[in-house]
Amino acid sequence: MVDAARHPNIDVRTYTQVERVEGFVGNFKVQLREKARYVNADRCNGCGDCAKVCPIEVPNSFELNLAPRKAAYISMSQSVPLLYTIDQDACIHCYKCVEACGPLDAIDFSQEDKVVWEDIGAIVTATGFNHFDPSAIPEFGYGRFPNVITAMEMERLNNSAGPTVGDLIRPSDRKNPKRVAIINCVGSRDKRFNPWCSNFCCMYAIKNAVLLKQMYPDIELSIYYIDIRTPSKGYEEFYDRARQMGIKFIQGRPGMITEDAQTRNLFVQSEDITLGKVVEHEYDLVMLNQAAVPQPDVDDVSSVLNVQQSPGGWFMEYHPKLRPVDSPTDGIFFAGACQGPKDIPASVASGSATAARAGRILHSDEWEIEPIIAEVWEDRCVSADGKKCGICAKACPYGAIEVEVGKAAVVTTAKCHGCGGCVAECPHNAITQLHYTDAQILAQIRALLADKPEEKVFAFRCHWCSYGGADLAGTSHFEYSANERGIRVMCSARMDTDFIYEAYRLGAGAVLYSGCHPQDCHYITGQLVGASRAERLQKIFEKMGMSPGRFRVEWISAAEGDKYARVINEMQKVIDDLGGEKLMQEIETLRPDMEKRARRMYEVPDVTSASDYSDTMVLAMTVEGGKDGK
Amino acid sequence: MENKDMPLTLVEQVKAIPGGEHVEVCYSCGTCVSKCLIQQKAEPDYNPRRLLRMVMMGMREEAFASPTTWMCSECDLCYASCPQEIHISGVIAAVKQLAVEAGYQTPLETVSVDEGLCSGCGICVMACPYEAPHLIEKEADGVMDRFSEVDAEKCMGCGICVAACPIGAIARPGVSNQEIVNQISIKNKNGKPSLVVFICDWSLRVEEDEKILESYPDNVRVIHIPCSGRIDPQMALMALRSGIDGVMVCGCAPGQCHFIRGTYVSDCKINLLGMMMGQMQLADGRVKFVQIGTQDRGRIQNEIDMMLASLEKEAV
Repeated sequence: MVDAARHPNIDVRTYTQVERVEGFVGNFKVQLREKARYVNADRCNGCGDCAKVCPIEVPNSFELNLAPRKAAYISMSQSVPLLYTIDQDACIHCYKCVEACGPLDAIDFSQEDKVVWEDIGAIVTATGFNHFDPSAIPEFGYGRFPNVITAMEMERLNNSAGPTVGDLIRPSDRKNPKRVAIINCVGSRDKRFNPWCSNFCCMYAIKNAVLLKQMYPDIELSIYYIDIRTPSKGYEEFYDRARQMGIKFIQGRPGMITEDAQTRNLFVQSEDITLGKVVEHEYDLVMLNQAAVPQPDVDDVSSVLNVQQSPGGWFMEYHPKLRPVDSPTDGIFFAGACQGPKDIPASVASGSATAARAGRILHSDEWEIEPIIAEVWEDRCVSADGKKCGICAKACPYGAIEVEVGKAAVVTTAKCHGCGGCVAECPHNAITQLHYTDAQILAQIRALLADKPEEKVFAFRCHWCSYGGADLAGTSHFEYSANERGIRVMCSARMDTDFIYEAYRLGAGAVLYSGCHPQDCHYITGQLVGASRAERLQKIFEKMGMSPGRFRVEWISAAEGDKYARVINEMQKVIDDLGGEKLMQEIETLRPDMEKRARRMYEVPDVTSASDYSDTMVLAMTVEGGKDGK
Repeated sequence: MENKDMPLTLVEQVKAIPGGEHVEVCYSCGTCVSKCLIQQKAEPDYNPRRLLRMVMMGMREEAFASPTTWMCSECDLCYASCPQEIHISGVIAAVKQLAVEAGYQTPLETVSVDEGLCSGCGICVMACPYEAPHLIEKEADGVMDRFSEVDAEKCMGCGICVAACPIGAIARPGVSNQEIVNQISIKNKNGKPSLVVFICDWSLRVEEDEKILESYPDNVRVIHIPCSGRIDPQMALMALRSGIDGVMVCGCAPGQCHFIRGTYVSDCKINLLGMMMGQMQLADGRVKFVQIGTQDRGRIQNEIDMMLASLEKEAV
């Protein structure tokens, strides 16, 4: 930290809050509030004379309220930069500190918060995690029994710079405990509070136990656990060493802690699963190894940065395996445990990774993106005519579209990832997606349904999941109907209702609407946009009187080749069961309705030219395509 | 790929019964076992975690014959602590339902109704936490009459109905009215106030607390009952009439009653009795109801000592 503060290219701003973030990758504008410390940063040399004379003592939150601090304080002795702060909530304005500061004259009670704007190229979020408050679990008695403490309290009691100068004492009588229990999974792996495994607590429990055993060789230590998870290099060996040191590992989550009112000793009752019976052991001190939870202000930070959160509140990465430190917004990265519980090696690794990712942006003058971005036809956008619309902005998972009444919608190209949700949602067909224009997609649909459309199962597949699933079905040699025809779009959000109507208008036997599972969507919330549209379509077709099964919505991942094959076969069966004549009749009855519904699409500029293709031309294209072997 | 002719596995059957849905979520942490008192106090083979495991592994006969299937009284102490939010008593009830269908019978002591005395009033039906008694109509001595009949599979033997029955037509072996009344006697007062303590079998979690009860001299008489709801206020009055100075009834804390609501029933009864005694101008505080929670280690001793001290003060 000291090195970072001294580095000529690093500007450390503590006690500063990020209030607004605008712009996009490489061109962020960030509003910072530098909070008033009431101490002049240029003059304070961190001598601490102000704290010495300060008469006010308040609980020290860094020491988990186990020790006091003054109203003039630094959060911890290693603070960087070493600048004192006057806590105005506690200060009684006796001005003794001003006197003590003397000729330095660093204390300035007239200071006010300063708001500044900065140009930023890339943002790394490293806001860390918080600890679960175990007083929510009544059976462990935290907060009621003084000798039940949390892992962080143990950390301070055990720390040579802590309130007891490293002497482990128990709170009730300040004696050194002889028997200590550590309870794992307090608030984690617990559906009542946090369903996730907090990742590092098993190793943390073992570390603490080994440390205590080394400091106090005659101490008796037990670790209560559900499962011990030691999945990294050297971890299992460390666990093994702990067992050999005589630390007891008891498999069984305690159901109850009771206290002897006189001695304040604690009785931990648990099932010893290995023995298969309930055991009760007496301890002097119990440490609860509590869950890692997101920071309390994580919602505010995520709305300032415009990044999403995973279930539970952690920041959501772009892709859990392939882009683990990137946020879905280009130029914003996550380091460490703000993205999910991480131990130190993993946090360091993700920190280094974010530095490299951010460096890429800072070192390049140009930023390359996929060319499949959305573009607005300004003359067709109703917002330009002063009407209130903004449907495209709502569909965009990246906040890339800005709509102001009176002006046409504007797509920030650098933010657009090309899902095509806005293109499909726009009721006036005023947006197009390069390389996936309506005309191009329609041409594909027409080509594939040119011959005997009533026999075909027509599939719309998203690029990332269901297209991969179809591919896997092929490479795995899963057999499915040869009448399947499908096209690829980037996301289920791009699957315009018009495309579906057009497929039926052309006489398709059945249509499959497929994409990623909701949690797997490559475009954050693109699947949700697609899914709600599919639901709408299903209702419309039901009302029209379409036979059930002719329109089907399935979420198929890239690993579900068997599911893709099964779905196609089932749809083929629907067509077969209906039989040629009945199906033809249904297609003919519904065709005028489909045509009416799809009509608005023909107003789109380049679709008009695409629909000029004669039927023979479309046929010719199919035959030519057939020559290539597909 | 589904074969409709295949018989359902045990876990599928359990999941199909309302309450049994979440059985497969269990990751065997043992919290339920350490919360439950049955293994520690009554049956070493009782283990809900293991029963859930048996269900998952399809061990049908073992599951049906297991004491866990039959002894769970649905107190739901484990449900409040289960980190996987499994309604364990619901799963056990589902297993029990299947076991009953398969012809297994409860090994518990259950209540029986003396049809010669039963008037068919239906108070027991209202009192029972398990819906075990129900009224039937059948012919007796040539006339149609109403009787109470107890479903043995549902009865957990708490005795709340025994206390509720106004004519003593229901009995449970071991804790019939006569058997309890016979125990109300103090051998030797030694010049100190005498006290009868009716204590619910499930309110004390800790062995030390049980030992403390045994250590009291002769002026304190401890009578064990299956549930505080088993106590009939008449018993307290009988004790007072026989010259005993104080009566203490001890049950579980609200929400922790082993038999769902025995402690509420008893709370109401003893409070009512206290009011009645006030109207009769009998000394207040001679009857007391104490509710002991799962974490109240050592409290029973405090309560008895306090009561003895206050009785002594009154006597002076």
